[in-house]
Amino acid sequence: MIPGVKKIGPYQWEVPVGYVPDMKVPGRFFLSDELAPTLEEGAVRQLANVATMPGIVRNSLAMPDIHWGYGFPIGGVAAFDMQNGVISPGGVGFDINCGVRLMTTPLTEKDLPGKRDLIERLFGAVPTGVGAKSTRRLSSKELEGMLQSGAEWAVEQGFGIRQDIDRCEENGCMDRTDLSAVSGKARQRGMPQSGTLGSGNHFLEIQVVREIIDEDAASRFGVEKGQVCIMIHCGSRGLGHQVCTDHLKVLEGAAKKYGIRLPDRQLACAPVNSPEGKAYFGAMAASANYAWANRQIIMHTTRDVIGKMFHIDEEEMPLVYDVAHNVAKIEEHMVDRHKMTLCVHRKGATRAFGPGSPDLPPDFRTVGQPVIIPGSMGTSSFLLHGTAAAMELTFGSTCHGSGRVMSRSSAKKKITGQEVKAALAREGIIVRAHSDSAIADEAPEVYKPSEEVVRVVHEAGISRIVARLEPLGVIKG
Amino acid sequence: MTFVELEHTADVMIRVSARSYEELFLEAARALMTVMYGATAEGTVCCDVNVDSADQEGLIHDFLSEVLYLSEVNSIVFFSGTVRIQDNTLSGILCGGTFDPEKHRGGSEVKGISYSGLKIVKEHENYILDVIFDV
Repeated sequence: MIPGVKKIGPYQWEVPVGYVPDMKVPGRFFLSDELAPTLEEGAVRQLANVATMPGIVRNSLAMPDIHWGYGFPIGGVAAFDMQNGVISPGGVGFDINCGVRLMTTPLTEKDLPGKRDLIERLFGAVPTGVGAKSTRRLSSKELEGMLQSGAEWAVEQGFGIRQDIDRCEENGCMDRTDLSAVSGKARQRGMPQSGTLGSGNHFLEIQVVREIIDEDAASRFGVEKGQVCIMIHCGSRGLGHQVCTDHLKVLEGAAKKYGIRLPDRQLACAPVNSPEGKAYFGAMAASANYAWANRQIIMHTTRDVIGKMFHIDEEEMPLVYDVAHNVAKIEEHMVDRHKMTLCVHRKGATRAFGPGSPDLPPDFRTVGQPVIIPGSMGTSSFLLHGTAAAMELTFGSTCHGSGRVMSRSSAKKKITGQEVKAALAREGIIVRAHSDSAIADEAPEVYKPSEEVVRVVHEAGISRIVARLEPLGVIKG
Repeated sequence: MTFVELEHTADVMIRVSARSYEELFLEAARALMTVMYGATAEGTVCCDVNVDSADQEGLIHDFLSEVLYLSEVNSIVFFSGTVRIQDNTLSGILCGGTFDPEKHRGGSEVKGISYSGLKIVKEHENYILDVIFDV
């Protein structure tokens, strides 16, 4: 383990105050001994840097998919006091409300002898990759609807059914939006990209539920063994990226104005209740709504393709849940037996609210929130549920994915996209992308094993495994 | 090639070198285009670029963010240009070819330019920039 870091439990480690100057609280992260060699010093330093920010409550936290990012580490979680605390785009990232949704179908594997045809049809219907544009041109009014009302706007436009809205974190729509804080540049970028997947690690995957671990929770979530499901991973596209860029500049000036000293410029921030902090929150919330509407449109397109191919109604393809993993939220949490309102940042981390949370739909309230953890192209994805332990230890948060262990340049030197495709084809997994380079970048070998990351959050109790899904076919962004 | 990719687990970290400060900005823009599109494109489609920042690091950060924006909204893959820089204010023109899905899908979409790890140094006769692109 990296010098200076202490083990404080079977899966918990502490970065003590003093690891970097001006830390206000210790850092804590979750990791197994098996994953310990994957930890980078840069990620630990970033975790410690977050602990220097004003108003941070309890700990700067990281999940077992922790890795070196910019500003916060990826997998980072931090909560800030609403009176003395700050809000920072560095704790959310450029891709605001990058997230994942899982939809079930009535199909099983034996219904998919023509799997390649399905992949091709989906690849033709969902715009993917660098420079992809939507076939729909939004008007300014439509874009405002998307920013204001998120998934609800999409359903009102005919992209989905009412039940979808209840199955999204925040019902697919954050309030406290401030559309005046979304620049013309951001709008210009968002206008042609509704319903597009993007590139990088974004994907649309056909999966099969291979194993049920918690029968009761699976039944509540409407998931059963052998079922074919669709997982969609993407975010707020160029609009969210521009909002982050625009407000980073404003908040840099604000940090100086409010006398906040920072160890990394990417942690630029302002008091949550300052005009600059409120403007960022309002623009970020609007971007999060764009992302929810975007995933809703992509799911609708997917349902349309599957519906026509297999003669299934959209009601037979319910959404299990949609989670955000790059976002800041105003939430209430118990801290030292007192209820506090906090600004919780999750950057590459998933909300994992436990049983009884009023923020969950009534039929999930006894189980806890569905948590969706994607694997990489060749590895399992998981459905979990949130826990009371997560509420106590991590402000109701858990991991968001596998976490990279290899740079893109190393990945390309070690393996080609064609080789990855051929290796996955031998396992019956079809991969479709616009470029081989996009496939090499995201080869299964570049990620920590998803099973081990999920085992850590399960054993640490900050979420519990419900089901394991295996990939059958992937559309890469 | 006047840039190299350095090791970074999650994102793309590059080192750009150039003989002059102004050339460093143009080389960084070309590096950004290469990371995004897998290639640059010679052409005669041009855009004005104007950036005003608080300091040197802010200027390269804001310039590259502007290049990202101009490239995306105008569907241009930039290749060449000229810039004038005075007191952390930049003005210039960037030119390139129109985005062609057949030729320009070999890269990774860049979401933003990070301040983490960003630095400009002058070594001997060369200006050197390290910068991380979020992909």
